[in-house]
Amino acid sequence: MQKDLETKFLLDFEQNQNIVHKICRMYTTNQDAHNDLFQEVVIQLWKNYSKFRGDSKFSTWMYRVALNTAISLYRKSTRSIKTQDIDDFTYKIKSSEYDDTEELQLKALYKAVHQLNDIDKALIYLYLEDKPYKEISETLGITQVNARVKMNRAKDKLKNILNP
Amino acid sequence: MDLDTYKKSWKNQPKETSTVSSVDIYKMSHSKSSSVVKWIFIIGLLEVAFWGGLNLLVPDDYMKVYTDFNLINFLNYYFILHYVVIALFLVLFYKNYTSVSAVENTKTLMNKILRVRKTVKYYVYYNLGGFVLVTIIVNSVMFSNPEILAKTMNPEKLNVDINTLLSVTLITQIVAILIMLLILWLFYKVTYGTLLKKLNKNYIELDNLEHLN
Repeated sequence: MQKDLETKFLLDFEQNQNIVHKICRMYTTNQDAHNDLFQEVVIQLWKNYSKFRGDSKFSTWMYRVALNTAISLYRKSTRSIKTQDIDDFTYKIKSSEYDDTEELQLKALYKAVHQLNDIDKALIYLYLEDKPYKEISETLGITQVNARVKMNRAKDKLKNILNP
Repeated sequence: MDLDTYKKSWKNQPKETSTVSSVDIYKMSHSKSSSVVKWIFIIGLLEVAFWGGLNLLVPDDYMKVYTDFNLINFLNYYFILHYVVIALFLVLFYKNYTSVSAVENTKTLMNKILRVRKTVKYYVYYNLGGFVLVTIIVNSVMFSNPEILAKTMNPEKLNVDINTLLSVTLITQIVAILIMLLILWLFYKVTYGTLLKKLNKNYIELDNLEHLN
């Protein structure tokens, strides 16, 4: 039984792991921290997997746990941002099929996101992933009205950083 | 530039090049968590052990003093009550700890983590309060019987002024309590301050939303 559950978890996780990578990239600025947060997310996902009933999609459940881990459970702060780290760190997302302009934009986006606070990072992630306000409010535990207000503020902050 | 342009780049971003294999995910999922809650739990357990064990460290000779003042029964009842309270705190602490789950919504999760921390805080308040209260009661009894106290404090019957002796005893006790409180306060500032700094900041950030309307 446990073996089956484990196999299913590994399969589910492997297929969706990019979600966790994206969240880790938003919340950390170097590879060590990325790996550290990634591992903590895996631990939390596995710890709760037996309770995952499939009421929601695995990917939805996964990003919730990942965001929660980054915001509340992960110990280290992302305060000290070294530009060097970010440049080294984001080189990995370079790909031959990926347009140069888009690559620069993506780098600029990550760099700007790193300057936001943890809650705004979550909001921006949810915006970039086109999540509806109902889901955003359920994920964060706030009302839809407040989610909208906060989202607009987070987007404004991000815009100001991107286009000073 | 519009944010939607960035969103397009976000959507088109290539998948992580260094994906983690099943074997590594398996290893990770079975490794030990180092989350904030885990640390609060460990420190909390150490505190329970520290305060619970403190009384066991008091040597029997020391208790003899209280026999002279007929305080031994009072202290024994207090210790029984004390251990019952510690047991209750342990149950509550563990219950709160196990209720923390990353599956909850962010706000509930934060609330639950802070509740684990609060249990420890109340436990410490209880211990400090109990400690100060018992010290006051014991001292009141002892100082209202200055003859016995003088005999106990000066068994060699050295030629010292009784009032000086009592004053020194009282001042020493007050200073010792103050130093102990200071050390504990610093300990909590450093441990919980470091552990909960980020969480508190994020909680305020999220909670502020509730007061917007």
